[in-house]
Amino acid sequence: MGVQMYMIGVKDELTQETSREIQRAVRTHDGLILMVTRTGPLVALEEAAVGALADHPLVRFIGPVSLNPRGFAAQRLEAIFSENLNKQITITHRAPEESLGQ
Amino acid sequence: MGADVGHELLSAPVPQMVYDLSQSIAKGQLALDTTSINTLKILANTKFDYLPEITETLTPHPITTKAGPTVTGTDVEVEESRTFPMTLLQAGILPTFYQFTETLIEVKISISSHTETKNEFEFGAEVKAEGGFLFGSASFASHVNYKTASTYSYSVEGSSLIRVVMRPAPMPPRAMPKFITVNTLVTPPQITTS
Repeated sequence: MGVQMYMIGVKDELTQETSREIQRAVRTHDGLILMVTRTGPLVALEEAAVGALADHPLVRFIGPVSLNPRGFAAQRLEAIFSENLNKQITITHRAPEESLGQ
Repeated sequence: MGADVGHELLSAPVPQMVYDLSQSIAKGQLALDTTSINTLKILANTKFDYLPEITETLTPHPITTKAGPTVTGTDVEVEESRTFPMTLLQAGILPTFYQFTETLIEVKISISSHTETKNEFEFGAEVKAEGGFLFGSASFASHVNYKTASTYSYSVEGSSLIRVVMRPAPMPPRAMPKFITVNTLVTPPQITTS
C-alpha cells in the first residue's frame, strides 16, 4: 500500500477545534497535513488508514486527489506543502554503526 | 461414482461467480467514480487566498563606514500584491479517478477417488474312511468360504481465488471544467482555453 494525497471534508462547519481534532486523527494514523483549507485539510495518508479515518465522527468525506504540476498555482501549493511537511517531519541521521546493523 | 464426479464438476458455480464479480466490479466502479466526482465538487468550491506576486525593489543606500569612506549599500523593499481567492481545482489539485484494469477468477477443483476390492476364497475338504470287520464307511465333507469387501473413498477439494487490479485513470475530459482565461493586460485581450 502506498501513500496518497486526500482531501478531507468535515461534517459541519470547520472550526479551529474540529480542524485540530481531524488533524490529530490524521497524525494518529501516521498521516501528514499538507495544507489546511476552509473545507478541511489536504493530507498525505497511507491507503490502509483511509477506512479508519473515514469512520471518524467529524469526517464527512475523504477523496483521493493529486497535484497537477501544470496547475496554475502548482508551484505555490508545492511550497505550502513543503513548508507544512517541514514542521512535521524530523529527519534524523543514523550513526554509522546503526546503518551497518550492529 | 463417475456421475458423482461429473456432478461435482458441474456444480462449481463458475458462471454465478463471474456474474457476481462483474456486478461487484460495476458497483465498486460506480462508488469510486461517485467519490471522485464529489471530490471534484469539493475542490471546485474550496478556495484559498492566492498571492500571485511579491515585488522586491532594490534601491541604493550608501553607507558611511566608521572609518570614513562611503560604501554602496542596498535597500530591499518588499511589496506583496493583492491576494485573491482561487479554488484548489484552479490551483492544480485534481481528483484521482480509478478504474479496474484486470480481473482474475481462478477455480481449482481436486477430485480423488480410491476403490479397493478384497476377495477371499477358501475351499476345504475332508475325506474320512473307516473300515471294520463287518462293514466299512466313508464320509466326505467340504466347505467353501467366499468373502468379498469393497472400500470406496472419494474426496473433492476446491479453492477459488479472485483478484482485481485497480489503477489510477486519467480524469474523464467531460468531468473536468474548462478554464477560460481572458488576459486584459494585452491589447486586444487574449483568450486562452485550457
